[in-house]
Amino acid sequence: MKRRAGIASVALMAALLALLVTALTPVALAASPSPAPEGTPVVTGTIPNPKDPKGIKNWAGDRVQVNFKPNGAELDLASCQLFIDGREEQLAKEPFIVPAVSRATSTLEFPLAAKHKAGKYAFKVILVTTDGQHVEYSWDFLSEGEAGSGSLVSVRVMREWFWFIAEGAVVTVELTIISIAFACVFALFGSLGRLSKKMTFKQAWDRYHSWGYMWRMVLGRIPYWVATFYTSLFRGTPLLLQIYAIYMVIPEIIRYFGLPESYNPPPFWAGVAALSLNYGAYLTEVFRAGIQAVPKGQNEAAWAIGLSGWQTQRRIVLPQAFKIVIPAVGNDFIALIKDTSLVSVITVEELLRRSQLAGAATFSFFSTLLVAAAFYWALTIFFSFWQAKLETRMARDKAREREQEKK
Amino acid sequence: MATPESNAGRQGRHHVGREVVVKVEGLHKYFGRNHVLRGVDLEVHKGEVVVLIGPSGSGKSTFLRCLNFLEDPTSGDITIGGVHVTCGGHGSAFKRAVHDIRMKCGMVFQEFNLFPHKDATENVIEGPILVKGEKKDEAIRRAHDLLTKVGLAERMDYFPSQLSGGQKQRVAIARAMAMDPVLMLFDEPTSALDPELIGEVLKVMKGLADGGMTMIVVSHEMGFSRDVADRVVYMDEGQFIEQGPPSQVFFHPRDERTRRFLRHVLPEKEPEHAAELGITEVGQDLPAPEATPGGAEGS
Repeated sequence: MKRRAGIASVALMAALLALLVTALTPVALAASPSPAPEGTPVVTGTIPNPKDPKGIKNWAGDRVQVNFKPNGAELDLASCQLFIDGREEQLAKEPFIVPAVSRATSTLEFPLAAKHKAGKYAFKVILVTTDGQHVEYSWDFLSEGEAGSGSLVSVRVMREWFWFIAEGAVVTVELTIISIAFACVFALFGSLGRLSKKMTFKQAWDRYHSWGYMWRMVLGRIPYWVATFYTSLFRGTPLLLQIYAIYMVIPEIIRYFGLPESYNPPPFWAGVAALSLNYGAYLTEVFRAGIQAVPKGQNEAAWAIGLSGWQTQRRIVLPQAFKIVIPAVGNDFIALIKDTSLVSVITVEELLRRSQLAGAATFSFFSTLLVAAAFYWALTIFFSFWQAKLETRMARDKAREREQEKK
Repeated sequence: MATPESNAGRQGRHHVGREVVVKVEGLHKYFGRNHVLRGVDLEVHKGEVVVLIGPSGSGKSTFLRCLNFLEDPTSGDITIGGVHVTCGGHGSAFKRAVHDIRMKCGMVFQEFNLFPHKDATENVIEGPILVKGEKKDEAIRRAHDLLTKVGLAERMDYFPSQLSGGQKQRVAIARAMAMDPVLMLFDEPTSALDPELIGEVLKVMKGLADGGMTMIVVSHEMGFSRDVADRVVYMDEGQFIEQGPPSQVFFHPRDERTRRFLRHVLPEKEPEHAAELGITEVGQDLPAPEATPGGAEGS
């Protein structure tokens, strides 16, 4: 039974890793290779998009968007026109530039006065620049209906974008597991540092009256100071700030010292660094409480049979402390699953960002965020289940009891 | 002080040798401003069993814990099994000496302090493997011998949570014995036990004493002291007030403080002997020393 669970976990991890690799592979974007003269905008894509890589066949029917490379040109928005099936379309208001997603391309949106049902449409846009250039672009689209406008929640959107969002879920799981692992390492050293203070300087002086002892005590106090500073700093500032700081400040430092830009942290690892440092600070306090919860008599019994301080920690105190802190660490683990969503702000395409992208493409945030919420919820349920399993497994004495009852 | 010769062969149970195993001189311990041990001297010979009694807060537990440096004594000298430490030191040489002294002592605690995540055998082999570098097979074999000796042959793979208090304390004794100590320290080993479980632990302790183990025991088990102890020490306010063979300290105490303590303890702990002495209620005074004929030793 135990072995089968182990194999299952390994298989699961392998599957997650495989999905991660897929998720991190950059999607080949169809970019127009033909060089255009300066001052002429080039259309790179549209919504509705007949060449949608996901084969999406529905259209909200209430707006048309055109992605284009400005090439230095500026549009005369009031003069831009949209024709559907050869007739100039009535607009709800003037066309406008959608607030920038990227600097390389801009998006021009035509808000339509009327909604359009399923059917085949021929589109034509004319982009007019301020210095009088006209750029025409035409395409056909066979719409299967209105996504996101017909019903509040579109099952079709959810089905079509499911795997796109699922790849984000894999990144979320990876972020969580890697970050909690590092956080536990930070927390272990942090808690030992926090607990390294045995007596005050005054007590030591009253006891030994030795400058040599005091000097060694100052050196011995450094881990305590470092750990205290660490927990104070990372518990005292917002996680979002730490994510921004690590992602944006490190490149500034690198630039300041004239180091190559390849030293800049990739978004994924910047996110891992911020999450693990932040959660490490919280877990430091959890571990400290766990170690302190082991009765003092355990230390004394270990010393009495001659164990050294480190042997006592490693063999006697930490195993018991570990068992005590499992519920608290599990709690933080589940909180971390959800806090990984914050790294979407530094372009890591995890669960939340993927669902946002999907929502932006379909105008059905309700559907895509619902998928994301379901993923988060399922993940927390899954990991709570494994936490409960781990707690049972750690109770070795109870397991032995069951064995002996069987005999 | 009682000389070993005067007790040697008392009732012919075990032999007290001439070799001095424990020598404590001028031991002081402060907790902050609180002066807990006020200059204690003690000499214990090989095979001798010393029982410490006294009211709570008198410093008997602290004294015992100072012997293997679970409490760091403020000043004084301790020699156990040839290892000498001058208290109040620090640094690596001091730490090594403390470690060496701990290796000479086995300690049994009131609350057992077994390692709950290890079964009985694992509790016993932890020290021999980690500290003495014994081979695991060898350590397990010796652990099984020791556990059999304390009557737990059937419980070697049980975890502490599955054992009764008396069984736990016997595992604790086996764990201490596994380090081959020259001195065993017992800190109220039966105080946390249900009355019906006390006997099994005392029996194991008596077996150790009969085997020639040097022991210092903090305990109010008067029956055990009477049967096994070579010397009883009454301690109060951080000092040894009175010491001597059990017959003398229990039944003919010379010091007023000892008498006051005993007349509170005897009726409860040793009703038979209290009755023998004509004490029927707590707080009733002991007969004056000269009024009782000497040599009223327990059976």
